Amino acid sequence: MASGLAGTGTRFLHALSRVGQQFGRTFLAKSGRRYWPEPVAPRRVRDDPRPLGGPGRTGCGLALPVPSFRLRVWAWGRGGATAGRDFQTRTMALRWSCWRRRCSWRPALVGSPRPARPGCAGPLGTRAASDTRAQIPYFSLLKILTSASPNMHSISQFHQRTPAMCCCSQTQSGEKYSDPFKLGWRDLKGLYEDIRKELHISTRELKDMSEYYFDGKGKAFRPIIVVLMARACNIHHNNSREMQARQRSVALVAEMIHTATLVHDDVIDDASSRRGKHTVNKVWGEQKAVLAGDLILSAASIALARIGNTAVVSLLAQVIEDLVRGEFLQLGSKENENERFAHYLEKTFKKTASLIANSCKAVSVLGCPDPVVHEIAYQYGKNVGIAFQLIDDVLDFTSCSDQMGKPTSADLKLGIATGPVLFACQQFPEMNAMIMRRFSLPGDVDRARQYVLQSDGVQQTTYLAQQYCHKAVREIRKLRPSTERDALIQLSESVLTRDK
Amino acid sequence: MSLRQLLLRLSGYLGASGPPNRHWWYFRSLDTISSVGSWRGRSSRSPAHWNQVVSEAEKIVGYPASFMSLRCLLSDELSNVAMQVRKLVGTQHPLLTTARGFVHDSRHNLQLRGLVVLLISKAAGPSTRNSSSQNYDMVSGIYSCQRNLAEITELIHTALLVHRGIVNLSELQSSDGPLKDMKFGNKIAVLSGDFLLANACNGLALLQNTKVVELLASALMDLVQGIYQENSASTQGNPIPDDIRISTWKEQTFLSHCALLAKSCKAAMELAKHDAAVQDMAFQYGKHMAMSHKINSDLQPFIKDKASDSKTFNLNSAPVVLHQEFLGRDLWIKQIGEAQEKGRLNYTKLRETIKAGKGVTSAIDLCRYHGNKALEALESFPPSEARSALENIVFAVTRFS
Repeated sequence: MASGLAGTGTRFLHALSRVGQQFGRTFLAKSGRRYWPEPVAPRRVRDDPRPLGGPGRTGCGLALPVPSFRLRVWAWGRGGATAGRDFQTRTMALRWSCWRRRCSWRPALVGSPRPARPGCAGPLGTRAASDTRAQIPYFSLLKILTSASPNMHSISQFHQRTPAMCCCSQTQSGEKYSDPFKLGWRDLKGLYEDIRKELHISTRELKDMSEYYFDGKGKAFRPIIVVLMARACNIHHNNSREMQARQRSVALVAEMIHTATLVHDDVIDDASSRRGKHTVNKVWGEQKAVLAGDLILSAASIALARIGNTAVVSLLAQVIEDLVRGEFLQLGSKENENERFAHYLEKTFKKTASLIANSCKAVSVLGCPDPVVHEIAYQYGKNVGIAFQLIDDVLDFTSCSDQMGKPTSADLKLGIATGPVLFACQQFPEMNAMIMRRFSLPGDVDRARQYVLQSDGVQQTTYLAQQYCHKAVREIRKLRPSTERDALIQLSESVLTRDK
Repeated sequence: MSLRQLLLRLSGYLGASGPPNRHWWYFRSLDTISSVGSWRGRSSRSPAHWNQVVSEAEKIVGYPASFMSLRCLLSDELSNVAMQVRKLVGTQHPLLTTARGFVHDSRHNLQLRGLVVLLISKAAGPSTRNSSSQNYDMVSGIYSCQRNLAEITELIHTALLVHRGIVNLSELQSSDGPLKDMKFGNKIAVLSGDFLLANACNGLALLQNTKVVELLASALMDLVQGIYQENSASTQGNPIPDDIRISTWKEQTFLSHCALLAKSCKAAMELAKHDAAVQDMAFQYGKHMAMSHKINSDLQPFIKDKASDSKTFNLNSAPVVLHQEFLGRDLWIKQIGEAQEKGRLNYTKLRETIKAGKGVTSAIDLCRYHGNKALEALESFPPSEARSALENIVFAVTRFS
């Protein structure tokens, strides 16, 4: 009996240590700014003068409840009194210090990691051996926690809590929020028929190829944001409840550019399936697939030109350039660990967020002359877009193939390190060499995946996505209240909770 | 760094290639070579003569066209690509052929599309509707926006040239090179072409003229469809030429070889605010000159003193299509059968068969017909050295003596 009680106590103490370690890292990350790099500002964009928002709750799935501790964190997350915050900070620092003294393990990033050349594993040295020894206790601890609290369960719990937190952050009103997707689709009826009309092609096969992905099975996430933003800006400007045809054309062009990119990306990645069916390159071959992508792009450019606004043409041309540059960024890797995150976020902006940000800005330009509104629309689109991609990268590790419509661990197999991997690398420095050789050795993909799931990389990436969504909401709240504005707020929350 | 310098550096990366092997996509490479070569000095009897015409034209527009600063080529991205293409040496990826074609064109100062756009811009001059205050940015009688347009035209052409060089992975043979390298070649070809297209899009946006954007986007759509049809023509295995008439051939050739130049010439007029009539004449010149040029290029394998025993030729080229049209499909298939030796086509024998027919002389007549149509279009422009240069290009293209 005494032995049993001692065992339970040991597990409990370990759990507490885990909590302390977790929040300690969060605190250090914020203060040291090494873990939360700001996205690299694209050209012509005003730098965001404010740092990332205040710390929110970090997901931490523990089997054992810690009510008093949770309560304090909750207060902190809600932006409590300054004195209270200082107290929390001191308490956290104290706890972190105690934890470090009790354990010989040092976090990987306390010392600067040794740079490794691409494709070349660094030689083992005294420090490496030391690191290996130092990590044994932590690894055992982690194993206990992982067993006690499966990662999937942990993530699921976190996702369930997110909506509640977001609701608390909003002003309570009696109005019931409608589904933002249903609201957006009212303006998007016939979108895919209209896109097919833009693809004026005499050759049957080329037409079939070009239309192949416009089957209504995509999420239409981008055009929905665009039309909601258009209406929100129109209402903000002169309380107009009408959507301009030109604004809807921007949504159509955005979807076409996005799809053209998918066709080429599938050739570049040699992908076999997308949205549950074979890719264009698998059905018709790489030669024709590339031409189909070019054709969709040319049709999108014609539709764009016919909008007749040179500022809008410039914004969407910038998107096309960003998409290509983002792909080039993905070809390269950064050796310096601190640069890696900036590189990752810049790629994320260019490949995903730029289309949303610039399309939102385009419809605001058409709907409202105020440049302040243009910037609000841009910032909302940028932040939601980055959050969307961060969650996409999370789902690559937490979702099964069926839900995603594409194979999981796809990025690892392509040699690409995403957010969860970069965070996991901070706990498992041996991942550095794997990242530099782009997971090219046999077994690398599986080992990397295991490291990610054993680490808090998924939670950290989700937390980061949450911060971006908060920024998006703060931006859109500057617009005059409207159903569409509220739908955009709700949509940014749905980005965090989706499962595919 | 000019385009020429960059491509010469690329040449250094490429190094020596292995022995040439003919595969299913060799004919596509032939098309690629033909496409590059269609603007080469070989397009007229005397390379020296052609080079002289081009050199004089370049002086008229103010500087050699080949030194146009394609600014995007100075970027890190394409420098990176130049390094990456080096990895393909030793494989049969067509991107190598395309890259070498660029080097060749660079050495021979041949970016003819851009040059023609500049010449027609100068020949047309400023429109009377344009306010005099806007003339300040003219250099050698050409607006800066027209020079930018010329670059954009070259970018679009080059991008699609790169995108032509994609291989179907499922049809590769082991002798083509490692699958991993061929996949990588495809990746670089897609990205490079996309990069050039993205820069073209940005360049178009900077022109601040949505009509021009629409016109060039439409030209891109035409070009894609034209290339698609060309690809469909070159079937796998034993090549049997299409059963098409010359009228169909002309429709396809307009898309793949004429639309970009014709619409670029028209766009140049739009940028200078010329009226619809002038725009149409510029379009007609571009269309007919490019058509004439393409037919000239197709005729080269059949010109008497240039015959080469080892040379293959495109079975869907103008002289061959005309030969079939005069002869009849059945007889043509029979002739192809007779030229088969051990399952392979004897091009030398087939060439002689075609030369004995009416296809070659008809193609020469057709070339001259389109040349004359191009000259007619030029009559709408006032006499000038730029107009003379455009006429000289037509004379050089239609000369077969």
